[in-house]
Amino acid sequence: MDLKLDSEELNTCVHCGLCLPHCPTFRITGEEALSPRGRIRLMQEIQTNDQMVTKEALASFETCIQCRGCEPACPSGVPYGSLIEQTRKTLVQENRILPRWQRIPYHVLTRPRLLRFLSRLLTIANKVHLIPKRFAIPKNIPFFNKPLIPSGTDVYLFTGCVMDAWQRETHQAGKRVLEHLGFGVTPTGDRVPCCGALHTHAGLGTKAQEIAENVINSLSDNERPILVDSAGCGAALKDYGHLLGTEEALAFSSRIFDIHEWVEKHIETFAVSSKLSLRVAIQDPCHLRHVQRSHRAVRNVLEPFVDEVIELNDDGLCCGAGGAFSIFQPDLASKARDQKIAVINEKQCDVVASANPGCSMHLQQGGIDIRHPMDIIDEAISLKTIPSDL
Amino acid sequence: MSFIDKIKNLIKPSVFEDVFVAELVAALSPERVRFDATERFLHSHDSSVFDEGNAGPICFPITTREVQTIMRISEKHGRSIVARGAGTGLAGGAIPLGAPVVVVMTKMNKILEIDIDNRVAWVEPGVINLDLSRYLQPFGFHFAPDPSSQQVCTIGGNVANNSGGPHCLAYGVTDAHVLALEIVLPDGEVATIGGLDPEPVGFDLRGAFIGSEGTLGIATKIAVRITKNPPTVRTLLLSFSSMRAAAETVSAVIAAGIVPAAMEVMDQRITIAVESFVGAGYPTDAAAVLLVEVEGLVDGVQIDASNIREIGFKHGATDVRVAETDNERELLWKGRKTAFGAIAQIAPDYYLHDTVVPRSALADVLEKVNEVAERYDLIVMNVFHAGDGNLHPLLLFDAREEGMLEKVHAAGAEIMRISLDAGGVLSGEHGIGIEKQAYMDELFTTEDLNHQNRLRYAFDPQCRSNPGKILPAGHSCADIQSLKNVPQGVWG
Amino acid sequence: MKATLKIDTVLNRFAEAVGPSLPIAIEGNRTRWGLNGLLKPGTSVISAPSGLVEYKPEEMIVTVRAGTTVQELDTCLADHRQRTSLPDRGGTVGGAIAVGHNDLHKLGKGSVRDAVLQLRYVSAEGKVITCGGPVVKNVTGFNLHKLMVGSFGTLGFIAEVTLRTNPTPLRQLWIQTSMDPKIIFDTLQRPSAILWDGTTTWVHLEGHPPDVDAQYALLTKSGKVYESETGPSLPAHRWSIPPVDIFSLEKTLMGRFVASIGVGTVWAEQPQEERKLDRATLTITERMKKQFDPTSRLNPGRNLGNWS
Repeated sequence: MDLKLDSEELNTCVHCGLCLPHCPTFRITGEEALSPRGRIRLMQEIQTNDQMVTKEALASFETCIQCRGCEPACPSGVPYGSLIEQTRKTLVQENRILPRWQRIPYHVLTRPRLLRFLSRLLTIANKVHLIPKRFAIPKNIPFFNKPLIPSGTDVYLFTGCVMDAWQRETHQAGKRVLEHLGFGVTPTGDRVPCCGALHTHAGLGTKAQEIAENVINSLSDNERPILVDSAGCGAALKDYGHLLGTEEALAFSSRIFDIHEWVEKHIETFAVSSKLSLRVAIQDPCHLRHVQRSHRAVRNVLEPFVDEVIELNDDGLCCGAGGAFSIFQPDLASKARDQKIAVINEKQCDVVASANPGCSMHLQQGGIDIRHPMDIIDEAISLKTIPSDL
Repeated sequence: MSFIDKIKNLIKPSVFEDVFVAELVAALSPERVRFDATERFLHSHDSSVFDEGNAGPICFPITTREVQTIMRISEKHGRSIVARGAGTGLAGGAIPLGAPVVVVMTKMNKILEIDIDNRVAWVEPGVINLDLSRYLQPFGFHFAPDPSSQQVCTIGGNVANNSGGPHCLAYGVTDAHVLALEIVLPDGEVATIGGLDPEPVGFDLRGAFIGSEGTLGIATKIAVRITKNPPTVRTLLLSFSSMRAAAETVSAVIAAGIVPAAMEVMDQRITIAVESFVGAGYPTDAAAVLLVEVEGLVDGVQIDASNIREIGFKHGATDVRVAETDNERELLWKGRKTAFGAIAQIAPDYYLHDTVVPRSALADVLEKVNEVAERYDLIVMNVFHAGDGNLHPLLLFDAREEGMLEKVHAAGAEIMRISLDAGGVLSGEHGIGIEKQAYMDELFTTEDLNHQNRLRYAFDPQCRSNPGKILPAGHSCADIQSLKNVPQGVWG
Repeated sequence: MKATLKIDTVLNRFAEAVGPSLPIAIEGNRTRWGLNGLLKPGTSVISAPSGLVEYKPEEMIVTVRAGTTVQELDTCLADHRQRTSLPDRGGTVGGAIAVGHNDLHKLGKGSVRDAVLQLRYVSAEGKVITCGGPVVKNVTGFNLHKLMVGSFGTLGFIAEVTLRTNPTPLRQLWIQTSMDPKIIFDTLQRPSAILWDGTTTWVHLEGHPPDVDAQYALLTKSGKVYESETGPSLPAHRWSIPPVDIFSLEKTLMGRFVASIGVGTVWAEQPQEERKLDRATLTITERMKKQFDPTSRLNPGRNLGNWS
């Protein structure tokens, strides 16, 4: 079967296996079929030798979390992310994965009002234990959200879909931090309802392209930087150039910054006078570390505000959240989480910082006290202002 | 052909296979025994370039007892077995020939016991080499063998291949770091060979087992020596305007009575590829770079480092740099250890050779290797454990070009002969596998090989463990039972 | 035929002397003659040829015939400030390897089995067999040469070996103290020997002179230390135990003892209780003997398993 993969990209892999230990599903199972090398070998066999896609091959592709931890580990520079995305896209088009009923939730993501409405229903259903535990719906989805009010026109704050519905408090915190640095912030809000990251991962590439075009159109009336406090969204937005392959998209992508990157750039304007007495372990979201590769910024931004920033000893191995992965592959997801929790427990930390909503929800389910770096900095700033008021 | 066999041939072959697989499933569990075409395809390959693999059922045992059961069921059905770790072998040692049971050891990956007082760690074979050293870090110890694939290769695989690595120059290869093994023999019996004491009673079966490439049985528990971390480490990077100068420096350092912890050479092509991946500050304009590490007590390290520096300049080094920080040192090593993978930036395929020559012959042999590559119109790159005389010429090619593979193999054969003529051996650390079987009789007489076969018989009288490896055709254990009745499945 | 396959005439003559039939035994200087069973009376006894074959100091490799004494080898290596891990107890190189006991300074010199790179032996059929290879790193084929170390000539008679050599450290020093040997072992980076008789500890330091001085100084910080001419005198019987067992073993079983800390070798007045092989190991051992010496003609009476 033709997976419609770029044959040059596919041929880059020399099967050295250096990616294996950086793959969460290989780490859990020790199985070649659940490793990047195994998945690439299957793609090669299917596409190059025109083999059929067996159910085992499907399982191999479907169990990929798409954390892309294999990419920085690959000395040959295999663009694994693009290979697996295209593979899934082809398989969805051929109706081999993601049955139609599973595609329904993805439609909700681009309809903010519906999403908020359903979120409330979900909260209620979850409270009365109507939802099976394995779906791992967070317990603390807010019922009502305070509106995000624009404070100026220096930068956009990208608010997205699920995060805006479930974790708007973090947006508020990020916005306050930016304001503290002197930036007027325009939240993108409902006019840009979703970035399409989850669609791309699921193999709904065509829908993702449609979303991307919409996002670009909505935010192209000016050249303002667009700041993102969700690592997954940031990675997707930065990839629009590749996704759409247009000059316009490329130019748009260059306006995207992870919020930590932006704050780091302006860190000297921070007058730090008080620290939180916290030892903070950093859990790098895969799409910040392996894809955007800007995870260093999180440390630099947090360090001035806390007692200690602690590195986890796992080379940024994925926690298993992976967007919707934890819902469709609960077993692998919870095992990946167990690995991460074990690594966290090795360290003496008060709280874990993670710059991605998916990771934090997933780890919270595992009983980890986790906060967004912006929430922590926001608290530190507010502490500082209280004594000055007195 | 016996009467029973005749009847068997009349029945659809897959029936026997079904019974065989069903017994394995009953002994392990359905999810840990696979027999589908996809899994069999994946387990028919490792990191090597060989395509003739044909895996039978694939088993993922989690206990010694399960390994025993797999051995016994296979014996009953007259089937062979092949153990597999992370599948990073380059000589095809883990490639299944004749549809054997592939026993994947990666799920047996527990560190069982750390015994600091005895300087020993007991591990299961699926533990990843680097994971063990990381685990030992807080105790101030490490596992000394550090093959370039250490971040992924398993200790069981290290035992099978008697793996080396850059730091084996001073510390010795895996054999020097494995004290005892619990092994399951091909008949299902469990033996403990070697011991935690320095001179265990009886033959050194441990020494015979290590490096036997899975042909003597499967290790299920391994007692490895753990090594104290050195208090001082210094890494020097020497640049040269010719490969000859670098090679001569290596010989001169050894001749001066200095045994560094590691001495690695990379040529310009590979340095450029590596530098673009790691950005460690490797000089991309030097014809060759030499990475030397000395370790030990602070004064001695200082003395050795300055002597090496002097020797380097005397032999034509254009620059000598000392890594200032741990981070700089780590980056330099990351570059060296990912060198092979970085090749894909240049060509889609590579054939990595592995021979050892006397250290004083390094410069001459390298020149001859380059001549061969030129004659065959191939790109060759050199990155090697210079301190041991362990060469790794890499031939780059694109397998999609017609006739290319034959050309590469012919050039490879010449390189091997050059090494042997210089008084070297066929393999320093990758093993013989199926790659170099055909060359074994250039290094050993028929009688020598016959004796190696005898060693093998003592462990595995039926030749059921990883058949068709190491010994060339003509020796009984080199023969593979031809199992034509195992269909390759839909992906045939 | 490749140069490496060529066997010199001295070895061929030795092989002829061993021949293909009748019981035969090999002797070195009989320094460990009584170990692993007594030779069957009436067996004819021969010696391996002696002499240095090739020494390449710049390669740190030496090839020597098995009948050469360790002392002769050491003298030759000393000219280039090199040494091997073989112990010198007045015996031959072949004997030291066939017995496989390590030197007192194992921590510094390494073990005997790690020193053997290539080995030639005469088989029970009277043929010269080559195993291993003449370079410092080699995984070509089965490790017959490892199997021969410590096999007491029951699988073949060692004729010639290629050994790894190492630079002899510039400074060597014996010191004596009453400090806890365990603490010494944990404190020092690379001592070459720590010997303990239950009350006194002897430490052999070696390396670059400033390193030896620094290690010495480190010890003086934690207790009283004296320089010493030599190490202790060693009782006759050799024990092999896991290194820390010396601290828990009932010492009355040993009589006077000197233990090598961190190694597990103990020299004691009393012999060690017989150590047993497990059933499967015994089976391999017996099959091994059968494979290499089907008629049990080599060193009859010596027994590492339970063969008849």
